[in-house]
Amino acid sequence: MMSDTPEIVKKVFAIFVVGIFIVGFFVTFTQMPKGNEVNVNDTVSRFYVMKDVDQATQMLDKGTYFNKDMVPLRNDVPYTPITFGKSSNLEDGAANVVTSIVVDYRGFDTLGEVTVLFLAASGVMLVLHGEKRKVPKKKTEPSEIMYVGTRIAFAVIFLFGIYVFIHGHLTPGGGFPGGAIIASGILGLFLGRKGYSPNKAGLTVFESLSGMAYVIIGIIGLVAEKSFLANFLPTGTIGDLFSAGFIALIYIAIGMKVGSELSAVTNAMIVDTEED
Amino acid sequence: MITLFSTLLVILIVAGGFVAVFSKKLLSSVISMGLVSLGVSGLFFFLQAPDVAITEAAIGAGLSTAIFIIAMKKIQKGGTSDDE
Repeated sequence: MMSDTPEIVKKVFAIFVVGIFIVGFFVTFTQMPKGNEVNVNDTVSRFYVMKDVDQATQMLDKGTYFNKDMVPLRNDVPYTPITFGKSSNLEDGAANVVTSIVVDYRGFDTLGEVTVLFLAASGVMLVLHGEKRKVPKKKTEPSEIMYVGTRIAFAVIFLFGIYVFIHGHLTPGGGFPGGAIIASGILGLFLGRKGYSPNKAGLTVFESLSGMAYVIIGIIGLVAEKSFLANFLPTGTIGDLFSAGFIALIYIAIGMKVGSELSAVTNAMIVDTEED
Repeated sequence: MITLFSTLLVILIVAGGFVAVFSKKLLSSVISMGLVSLGVSGLFFFLQAPDVAITEAAIGAGLSTAIFIIAMKKIQKGGTSDDE
């Protein structure tokens, strides 16, 4: 708040924020429907749930639509509803619709997005690298609780980040949020210990290798399926871990790349700031 | 209930935006920007966009706030190193 704001306004604002968090927890744990009770067909366009572009185009061409209960209005177009845990060998087996669009159908777009992030990180490191200004060293050391606590929290956060990008095709999330979560954990390590610095060369090598892995997966698709970034692995039953072909591989590559990139950016900013 | 909570979130976002713009202290502005990101992320979650919500919470509320604060400290140290 403003420095000349009266104390009572600050307190009211703080109480308001805390109240919103309490109501939020209450709403999330009591009012949200359970995962298996949500009918996706009510909220998402019906063509998205079909998991098959050919069938959808065919239906659009013939002017066939569904009524409310997913019963086709016309019977001459073959249609089988997609069931979680039962349907197998679909065109795109990811249970998360967003992931099938972002990584599978629009994979080239995601490659460009990764390039944008890479260029931004390169710019930050180009500007900050080699700048060694004389700044007075801070005298406050983090306490023992901070030191131990951030290390324990880092293990949990790191594991959660890995979970988010490995399960990108099953649950919300994916490579970009997973990498950002891992970088947040490394930021916690910076706060917990004074002279902490990750292995810079290791981060660079890791980032380059995972970026190359993305392109190599795309080229394998080009060789095997005659199209860059095409899915060359079989799709299993929808909802399984090994169900979406190459989506998990690409998200692992993206997650490692984004995580090491953002960690390197944080490292460049913090370490250069504290250089004396 | 969800409608009420979304309304509260929108009020929080607008209030945080006002603080971010009109605050005299830079640190308050940066922290209210993180608050705005958190509110937007909750709103995304209730609007059936959990993917965007996770990304917004991790990048908008977490990393970018931290990077803003680090950059702010860096600027202040470079500008006013004579006081110490």
